[in-house]
Amino acid sequence: MIRPWLFPLGVVCLYGIGLMLAPENTEKAFDKSCSIFRHLVLPICLCLIMMVALNRFLSPKTVTQFLGKSSGIKGLFISSLAGILSMGPVYAWYPLFKSMKEKGTTNFHLANFMGCRSIKPVLLPVLVGYLGWRFAGVFVLACLAGAFLVACIVSLFCSESPPN
Amino acid sequence: MKIAVPSTEPTLEGYVANKIGTASYLLIIETYDMSFEAIDAPSQSSGAGAGVRALSLVMDKGAQVILVGHISPFIVNGFADQGIKIVTQVSGKVGETVKNYMDALDTRQNNPDPQPETPSSQDQWRAAMDMGLRQFRAFLPLVTGVVLLLGLFQGFISEQKLVSLFSGTVLQDSFWGACMGSILTGNPVNSYVIAKSLFSMGVGISGITALMLTWVNVGLIQLPAEAKALGTGFALVRNLAGFIMAVIISCVISMFAGGWI
Repeated sequence: MIRPWLFPLGVVCLYGIGLMLAPENTEKAFDKSCSIFRHLVLPICLCLIMMVALNRFLSPKTVTQFLGKSSGIKGLFISSLAGILSMGPVYAWYPLFKSMKEKGTTNFHLANFMGCRSIKPVLLPVLVGYLGWRFAGVFVLACLAGAFLVACIVSLFCSESPPN
Repeated sequence: MKIAVPSTEPTLEGYVANKIGTASYLLIIETYDMSFEAIDAPSQSSGAGAGVRALSLVMDKGAQVILVGHISPFIVNGFADQGIKIVTQVSGKVGETVKNYMDALDTRQNNPDPQPETPSSQDQWRAAMDMGLRQFRAFLPLVTGVVLLLGLFQGFISEQKLVSLFSGTVLQDSFWGACMGSILTGNPVNSYVIAKSLFSMGVGISGITALMLTWVNVGLIQLPAEAKALGTGFALVRNLAGFIMAVIISCVISMFAGGWI
């Protein structure tokens, strides 16, 4: 029970040391952490809802059909779309990824999902406003290509484990 | 036929345990003469795998039916595919329970129109929620540690210090941009804001692009959490490939699209 909490307790100790050596920066660091936690609430709730739905409705057979080895272009499209639509920092999604992997999602589709997360249609106007529409267009295409290539590399070097 | 029952005691006078993973004993009962074998159930202190080991023991002993208080509907369905029937919501003394089950079986055989026992929708939702919460709880310590570490890094490393890393060389800026993005991971919109402010401070497009690409895709600090979820090999290969890809893509974009901003 205690063992999983050793890592965060270790980081808390670092905060303690930081508080003694550089209290201002440590306070700033603590504020940043609190801000990150606040922004995590919504993505984590969404992730939890999706995990429950996944556990309730999706069997390994169904997941393998859509995101397994032989899902083809359909699987690529689904994993890309899922990555684009996902929100929040990636670490909020790890429990869902683990669950999906246990149900038969391939490493390729998981890596592609994670790679496509850079693309956020809702934020495209922001990107265009900041850096121009040409750069935004090239950036989106580069993200998609990069996600696909990284997924191919992961698929090549990492063996698949059979679904539970 | 053999029936397995998790029990509180190593006799037929024991009570049916609510969960197979937390039972003290497993009784394998031969129904034609009610003889039985009592096995010490896997220890609860051996962790979350006790239930799996108990089920494995039961299968090894050749049981065709398992009577238990509660078990996940997914396991019920999975074992049904293997030809092993699991009956849930069972309680009372082991001996009486087995006799009641055999009587019910005889009645059903005399009235051949059996209704298959499927878990109710409510049970399935409850099991799905339990599993989701359990999966999430396993990650909570790691996510907490990652967020605290990120905050520590962002609190101690200022933007000015980071900007000083960029020299104007395409490859070097791409590399440092990718390093920054790999450590300062977070929401994509934050990367757009930081990229814009770095651009206004004079950082080149290659550094900005690499930062934006790695901000979401690569994460050094959350590598342990990714390794726990998806395996160490996956985490290392994906992050390394993502880092290298970000540097390459940002160099290419810089060479062909440098005048677009």
